[in-house]
Amino acid sequence: MDKAGNSKRGPAGPTLFRQIATRLAAFTLLFALLDVGIVVFTYSSQPESLAQELLTLEADKAERSTALAPDLLAGPPGAEHWAASYVEPAVGGSVPLKSRVDAPGGILMDWTRRERIPGGYRISGVRSVQQGGQQRWLFMQFEGDGIRPYVPVIANEIVQHVVLPLIPLSLLLLLFNVFAVRRVLGPLQRAEAEVDALDPDNILMRLSEAPEPREVNTLVRAVNRALTRLDQTMAILRGFTANAAHELRTPLSIMQLSLDKLPPGPLRDDLQADTQHMARLVGQMLDLAQADALAVEPEALVDLADIGREIVGAMAPKAFAAQRDLRFEAIGDTRALGHAEAIYRIYRNLIDNALAHAPGDTPIEVTAGPGPQISVRDYGPGIADEDLPHIFERFWRKDRRKSDGAGLGLGIVQRLAEAHDGAITVCNAPGGGALFRVTFAPPGLG
Amino acid sequence: MRLLLVEDNARLASLIREGLDRQGFAVDWCETVAGAEHALTINGYDLMLLDLGLPDGEGLDLVRGLRRRQDTMPILVLTARGGLDDRVLGLDAGADDYLVKPFQIPELAARCRALLRRPGASLGTELSAGNITLHSAERSVKVAGEPVVATPREVDLLECLLRRAGHVVAKQALEGALYSMDAEVTPNALEACVSRLRKRLATAGADVQIRTVHGVGYALFAPMPAHG
Repeated sequence: MDKAGNSKRGPAGPTLFRQIATRLAAFTLLFALLDVGIVVFTYSSQPESLAQELLTLEADKAERSTALAPDLLAGPPGAEHWAASYVEPAVGGSVPLKSRVDAPGGILMDWTRRERIPGGYRISGVRSVQQGGQQRWLFMQFEGDGIRPYVPVIANEIVQHVVLPLIPLSLLLLLFNVFAVRRVLGPLQRAEAEVDALDPDNILMRLSEAPEPREVNTLVRAVNRALTRLDQTMAILRGFTANAAHELRTPLSIMQLSLDKLPPGPLRDDLQADTQHMARLVGQMLDLAQADALAVEPEALVDLADIGREIVGAMAPKAFAAQRDLRFEAIGDTRALGHAEAIYRIYRNLIDNALAHAPGDTPIEVTAGPGPQISVRDYGPGIADEDLPHIFERFWRKDRRKSDGAGLGLGIVQRLAEAHDGAITVCNAPGGGALFRVTFAPPGLG
Repeated sequence: MRLLLVEDNARLASLIREGLDRQGFAVDWCETVAGAEHALTINGYDLMLLDLGLPDGEGLDLVRGLRRRQDTMPILVLTARGGLDDRVLGLDAGADDYLVKPFQIPELAARCRALLRRPGASLGTELSAGNITLHSAERSVKVAGEPVVATPREVDLLECLLRRAGHVVAKQALEGALYSMDAEVTPNALEACVSRLRKRLATAGADVQIRTVHGVGYALFAPMPAHG
């Protein structure tokens, strides 16, 4: 089936999976950046809570590092006059601080104060710290300017609220993507296989419609609608051939019968031969158009021998008139599934072919059976190897100068055999001559 | 022999009438189903030649109507429809033969004669081919006007072949006509009978030929008439 440039694999574009994955990743990144922006904006507009978070962060550091004396804490980046020490509730104020240790109410508790000073701000506060199972109070104070001291706080916020939740979510989404894409594309792959299996001979075939996903379903239905339109076009084409051939028959009859009234002579003989040839061609075109549209009922049982006897009986007078001997033989069970009139035409075209191609005095043997097959054998020159690929082609003739046929007969036979799910084979018989064999479906396989 | 031709193409109809007239048939012509029904009420016809697609209806409906009324007049359908199912459809409707256009007058005339020769069409027909004549009621055979002595079975055989002259008659059909159901028929009985008849006709100087169609049956051919 595959012709050049019609290979099954299409252009190597990105897969749907990759497209969705990259888009998901990009979207996640965008969302993360937006999130960071929101965090930064929120905190920078709320310096009070930023200061509070900053001191809590430093206290957490002190709590984690038990060995570290509070003085050794580095403090936020860019902080000046950093001071940190544990204080006792009773002691308040003994350390050299630029601010009061205890809360405004005098009771020790977590508190934070941010005050403006010339050239920046001063932040001070106390945090409760657990060390060695003991609660202690850490007093911290520093001066700073701008956003820089807050950087660790903001970074911490970003990690806590943006990175940690988004990374597992993104991974889960990508994993889900694998399953979702596979599930969504399943019906598409089935549809692809069905489209590949579409057979121009079996024009009634349609893609099966999966109820979901709806997008695939609509595509499949659109393809099916396109197939229906194609069928209609084909039917019109076939109908045109059939109608044209049909319409030609009455004028041809008039021509033939009018010619009979001409005075006898070589001109009348030539014209009569021409109209007969034309009548034959028109008949074959109609036969071919009908063969293309033939549908064999699966339960139609025929006896190939009965049909063979009928056609050989009908054609014997013609063969005898041409000094030819036409013989028929039935062997064994000759029942088959088929359309009687179509099989009649298969026989007729094969016998016509043998009459045309084997020399005058040779017999033609027609056989039905054994089993669901028929054969027609002549004692002519047989078929040359180089002609074998062409003999079933429509309008092919070995010798175009001969005007005794249109080259449609064997094409009709092949088409009719195919309509029966049968096959036609041809070989050169031992002893010379061509042997055509057509096989049909045996009864009971319907 | 009076024939009714139902054909809507006037030129084709006149050519068919002329042709059949030369072959010795009297042909009346009408163009429509209604015209045909009217003609049938006025005249009795031996045979109807019927085109299928007529201006006022389907030719096959006319066939069905006649057969419903138990009319056994032979009907030969002349049509441009040569579809795979058309012939069977026509015969099923009750037509006796089916000829697809285009056709030649000798072929049409031969089919008409074959239909008119059918048993039951008329009694005591004289059947002839070439220089032999068989009178179906008298059971007598003449070659070139001279009586020929033949056994009743040989006369039966000759009658079967003459009724379908130019066509092959199936072996089974001949055996069915020649031998009664319970008679023991040896495979060679028919063959022997044909061979005796051939010899008898040849001796009497008959110009017809009885050909064997292997595996099918026998056919009687008259010598080719001068064409035209």
